[in-house]
Amino acid sequence: MVFVVLRRLGVFATTVVVASVVTFLMLSILPGNAARIALGVQATEADVAAQATAMGLDRPAIVRYLDWFGHVLIGDFGTSTVSRQPIGPEITDALGITVILVLTSVVLALLFAIPFGILTAVRQRKPDGVILSGISQIGVAVPGFLAGMLLVTVFAVTLRWLPAGGWIDPAEDFTGFLEHLILPAIALGSVQGAVLSRYVRSSVLEVMREDFIRTARAKGLGAGRALFWHGLRNAAVPVMTVLGLQIATLLVGAVVIERVFSIPGLGSLLLDKVALRDLPAVQGIVLVLVVFVLLLNFLVDLAFTLIDPRLRSAA
Amino acid sequence: MFASLATVMVASMALVGCTSGSTTAEGEPDTSLTVGLLATPGNLDYTTTAGAAIPQALLYNVYEGLVKLDNEGTIIPLLAESWTVSDDGLVYDFLLHDGVTFSDGSPFTAESVKFSLERVKDNWTANGPAYLDPIASIEAVSATEARITLSKPSNSWLFNMSGPVGTMFTESGLADLASAPVGTGPYTVSSFKTGDSLVLAANADYWGEAPYMTDVTLRYFTDATAQTNALLSGDINLISGISQFQLVDQFKSNTDFQVLEGASTGEVTLSMNNASDAFSDVRVRQAVMYAIDRQAVMDTANSGYGLLIGSMVPPTDPWYDESLADLYPYDPDQATELLAEAGVSDLTVAFKIPNLPYAVAGAQVVKDQLAKVGITANVTALEFPAVWLDEVFSNHDYDMSLIMHSEPRDVTAFAAPTYYAGYDSPAVMAKFAEADAADATTYIELMKEATTTMAEEATADWLYLQPAISLADADLVGVPKNTPSLALDLSTIAR
Repeated sequence: MVFVVLRRLGVFATTVVVASVVTFLMLSILPGNAARIALGVQATEADVAAQATAMGLDRPAIVRYLDWFGHVLIGDFGTSTVSRQPIGPEITDALGITVILVLTSVVLALLFAIPFGILTAVRQRKPDGVILSGISQIGVAVPGFLAGMLLVTVFAVTLRWLPAGGWIDPAEDFTGFLEHLILPAIALGSVQGAVLSRYVRSSVLEVMREDFIRTARAKGLGAGRALFWHGLRNAAVPVMTVLGLQIATLLVGAVVIERVFSIPGLGSLLLDKVALRDLPAVQGIVLVLVVFVLLLNFLVDLAFTLIDPRLRSAA
Repeated sequence: MFASLATVMVASMALVGCTSGSTTAEGEPDTSLTVGLLATPGNLDYTTTAGAAIPQALLYNVYEGLVKLDNEGTIIPLLAESWTVSDDGLVYDFLLHDGVTFSDGSPFTAESVKFSLERVKDNWTANGPAYLDPIASIEAVSATEARITLSKPSNSWLFNMSGPVGTMFTESGLADLASAPVGTGPYTVSSFKTGDSLVLAANADYWGEAPYMTDVTLRYFTDATAQTNALLSGDINLISGISQFQLVDQFKSNTDFQVLEGASTGEVTLSMNNASDAFSDVRVRQAVMYAIDRQAVMDTANSGYGLLIGSMVPPTDPWYDESLADLYPYDPDQATELLAEAGVSDLTVAFKIPNLPYAVAGAQVVKDQLAKVGITANVTALEFPAVWLDEVFSNHDYDMSLIMHSEPRDVTAFAAPTYYAGYDSPAVMAKFAEADAADATTYIELMKEATTTMAEEATADWLYLQPAISLADADLVGVPKNTPSLALDLSTIAR
């Protein structure tokens, strides 16, 4: 078991280092000059060259990489070349917002997907089951940003019930925070909810055909009880796998949703920083995203062993 | 002046708006305002960071200079109560307002004028420190009298003093220019979060008339539709300088809002690399002028909003000549003839545009129209600002581009031989220099002559002037209509 954990940590560390090198290399070959962007069109080429030196852009790539990654290892993400503020707090602020958004949308997706998936499975061949199943298919087909724009048009522009975008810190005004969270969380979670409900449905259908359900029924449990006490836990394993993968997708989806709703999360920060060629900040953000996704995968793996004892011995 | 292409990033000007939840106690006027803007400042230091976003938010609101531009583009007193100019045009004596303090409590005096302006040469890297080159010496005659002596007469420097380089700073307020600006203006910065918002509060110790709006939030959007949705849903109160004009009409029929149409200084320019093989012959450039139906480009890219100008001069400049709009009427036959005369056939040009909506839409029309006279334009949309600045602006690696030049009075910069347009006319440059040192009347005449020559020589095809359109809650008054400078002056807005 200790060996397994150590091996996992080794893989984790290697992945982070490789990701840092790849990120750094990709950004080094990106066209565009941060010094020119900072000084604008009024500056002469000589001014721009001096600015590039001041920003440390003319040092050899290996020196820049080691300087950056060395500091990251001790928790220092450096200073933004644009805002001139420490990058670490900028990232944690934005990450906090994105995590709240993603987790809320996951919760909403699950709240929708589990009952809906079970219902469509149980009512599989009934007309209502078919209709509900069709609805979830539509949900899968509508992209999050489109759902977002539709929600804004209906609930913000036409009905004026909720704000069209923006973000409020929960510590500042909790009601305002919820008002600003609800539409983007629904937009982000809708597709995932629909996708998940399909998995819940097929997973439940599969479990209902298992021997142990038949056994449970044979000892006198009703279909509902058999499913609840014995089936759902088994049905959860494949759903958890999908959910783990989906959270990574949600982080990407959040980039788009944050744009639609003008939310200052990690996605918005990343796009702003790329546009301004604030490379130390971009490197930091990408690295944090990589670590975040790796951690999530690790947690999902861990959750499996909790849900399914069979996986414990396998590990 | 150099065209601030970075200004395009801030294609939309400040939008002032109130949050939807801002209600007031019975009878109390609502003095809070939320403004929606399109390009966020990366930091708050315009002494070292280019782009229109920072001066848009801070100039005249947080920072002030001796003079300012009013909404009609006239230079008016600000921190200077009045000034006199010597007969030879070299010595400017400014009488300063008494009792002015910076927001950190330190006093504003003639020493501040000397300190601020002398700092520009060595410490400013952005926003045109060279604008102050005409200054030979600055003298604090008394606490409220500053004397500035120029090395040669200059008509443009006082105008430039109304912009960022004329800003007054205090030595004790320089510690954190990037996030905590200290100025003499009617507002101070309460909080700033890049990409999200900049919150301003009325400066309780302001020396002048207190602004009506006590709390102003500038909210930054990345998408024009999100911006108009925010206005429609009541999240914000004002959009100043909308960038996508197809979004305007829905507000015209809605009595909850007002649509204000004013003039900007943004010339949407089809630039031709005068130094390239393709366009070094003036006849080929003129052929392009005849081949383009500018009205059609404006209809497509701007939903018909804008003004055909024909030169790089907006109507707010004294040397504007409206007849230049008709200099090159749409005439494809004439274009074909000129190309034949120049011995050019099967011309293929690299048409590198920024990936901005108006440029992408306009470029398609231009491409089709050029095809009709036998010019093939290969359109490439480059990421703006990073890649466009690198490839087109810095490296001049292009034949043709399409971009808005937003800065006021940027035609002199455009004519410089080192500029990306590659136009090299010693005669025009000499005329600009002569104009700057001339008396007021001759100044206008010579500027008109030089800018007309540039139009005749088809230095570029100035397609149209971008309008300044503001969308606001119906109850707002005093919203700045025109955008003669980079600043969005919030002090005049009331309900």
